[in-house]
Amino acid sequence: MKTLKMEFYKIKRRKIGLTMCALMAVQFLWLIWAFRNPSESERLQGWLGTLYSMPLINSIMMPTIMAVLASRLADVEHKGNTYKQLETLRTASSLFHAKVFCGLIFIVLMFVAQFTFLILFGHYLRYEGQPDIGYYLRYLLLSLICTFALYLLQLALSMLFFNQMVPLVVGLCGSMLGLILMYLYNWNFRFLFPWGGYISTMFVGADWDQNTRIMTYYYMETTENGFLGHGFIVLWMILFYVVGRILFTRREV
Amino acid sequence: MPTQNLIETTDLTKQYGKVICVNQLNMQVPQGAIYGFLGPNGAGKSTTLKMILGLAKPTNGSITLFDSPVNEKNRIKLLADTGSLIESPSYYGHLTGEENLRIIQTLKGCPEQDIAKVLKIVRLEDARKKQVNHYSLGMKQRLGLAAALLGFPKLLILDEPTNGLDPAGIQEMRELIRTLPSSYGITVVVSSHLLSEIDQMADHVGIIRKGELVYQNTLESLHSHAKQQIAIRVNHLPIAIDILHQRGIEPTQENDYLLLPMVDDAYVANLCQQLVSQNLSLYRVEKREKSLEDIFLSLTGKESSL
Repeated sequence: MKTLKMEFYKIKRRKIGLTMCALMAVQFLWLIWAFRNPSESERLQGWLGTLYSMPLINSIMMPTIMAVLASRLADVEHKGNTYKQLETLRTASSLFHAKVFCGLIFIVLMFVAQFTFLILFGHYLRYEGQPDIGYYLRYLLLSLICTFALYLLQLALSMLFFNQMVPLVVGLCGSMLGLILMYLYNWNFRFLFPWGGYISTMFVGADWDQNTRIMTYYYMETTENGFLGHGFIVLWMILFYVVGRILFTRREV
Repeated sequence: MPTQNLIETTDLTKQYGKVICVNQLNMQVPQGAIYGFLGPNGAGKSTTLKMILGLAKPTNGSITLFDSPVNEKNRIKLLADTGSLIESPSYYGHLTGEENLRIIQTLKGCPEQDIAKVLKIVRLEDARKKQVNHYSLGMKQRLGLAAALLGFPKLLILDEPTNGLDPAGIQEMRELIRTLPSSYGITVVVSSHLLSEIDQMADHVGIIRKGELVYQNTLESLHSHAKQQIAIRVNHLPIAIDILHQRGIEPTQENDYLLLPMVDDAYVANLCQQLVSQNLSLYRVEKREKSLEDIFLSLTGKESSL
């Protein structure tokens, strides 16, 4: 607990919270811009449409946001050469866990903010009916797992590499890959990439009618492939945690 | 009663690939000592100290701290009574000096009042509210020492603590280190590649060369190795050698000088008279002392820096 408490003390004046708020604000502005004037059909399916759009937006933005978060948390140690002192006071494993939990707290707060924004924004746009809280919570849980997996990957890279350009480039490439995977509708193995988790676990589909220019959203049944996608995001999370922890604790300062 | 050793290493070895950085090192640091760990750059000093602190894993051998063999399970517990400053100081530049110390104090679990005490010891009280990024190198080094002193540990391990300091800073750091055993009962291990520095601070010395501990004893004992000789220079060495042989002295020749064992002043005066009476021109009579530098160089090799 003390180690975690100190993790937050260390990032005083680093404005990490502010950076995360700014990045989330970009996401919210994107949503505001995209859904600013909903048509009647969009209003009717608004709550469902949000569950369709959010994984796509997350898949583009979250890899970069996680790269920034992990890098900001880890580079305070690199800049001041602090590991050689910290590891005489705490085990490397406990230092690793402190960073993991510190990041997890940020992620949870970000998704709580996103969740709250989506609900408020939906009501502001007068979406028809009420959001299906069960599905919204499912979206929240899946997004949290995908994002946490990406954070663990980025954290491992940020803690191992002194030069933070390496993890940041990985994060940006992840965002680009997320964008590319969005267009690979028919490819069923998007879950093979950790950045494809948001899309491979989507449970809302859409049909685009070219004539009426109306998008119809619908809940998809989880197929065998969908189950694989769900399993893989958990697998990525466990894998990045285990590998990151092993690499961090075995290295010499 | 034999003095207790706070650190004991047995056959401590560290190998990176095919390179052996530390080779079967048996270090013994007595309680209350200022142990100067001396050796040229790259001799294995930092690696040894890192192994003692658990920052590097030994390839072979064992370490005993405070009479307990160190292992992965008890390492942090044993190090609770240890402070360290390895190579360069560790700090968070965006935090103030005081905030930096608060992190260490919280993690060490020592009293909050220690922060003010150590800041006073290293004379950083006035800069405690300043961000460390704005500190000079000397101030950062002092902050590193303050962090190491938090909790007033039984053992302090300082790796090249005067690196990067100006002459006044070096002197200040030395004086501070010298007072630690008597003022706070702290045993200090201080590494350096500078013999003069260790000579001025330490009372025990370990000399490491290419990963091997080539000398370990009190500094006093190292000083006793210093050998005094008389060097004379004349215009015709063979005649002088004959005269010395007649006197039962076996001189050694070094360049244009003859070196004889230390003799008293009257003997030197008498010898000089005899040399002059044999029509030799006596150019020089000097007292030579094998300095600590010579001893250090003979132990560590001529290529080593001082």
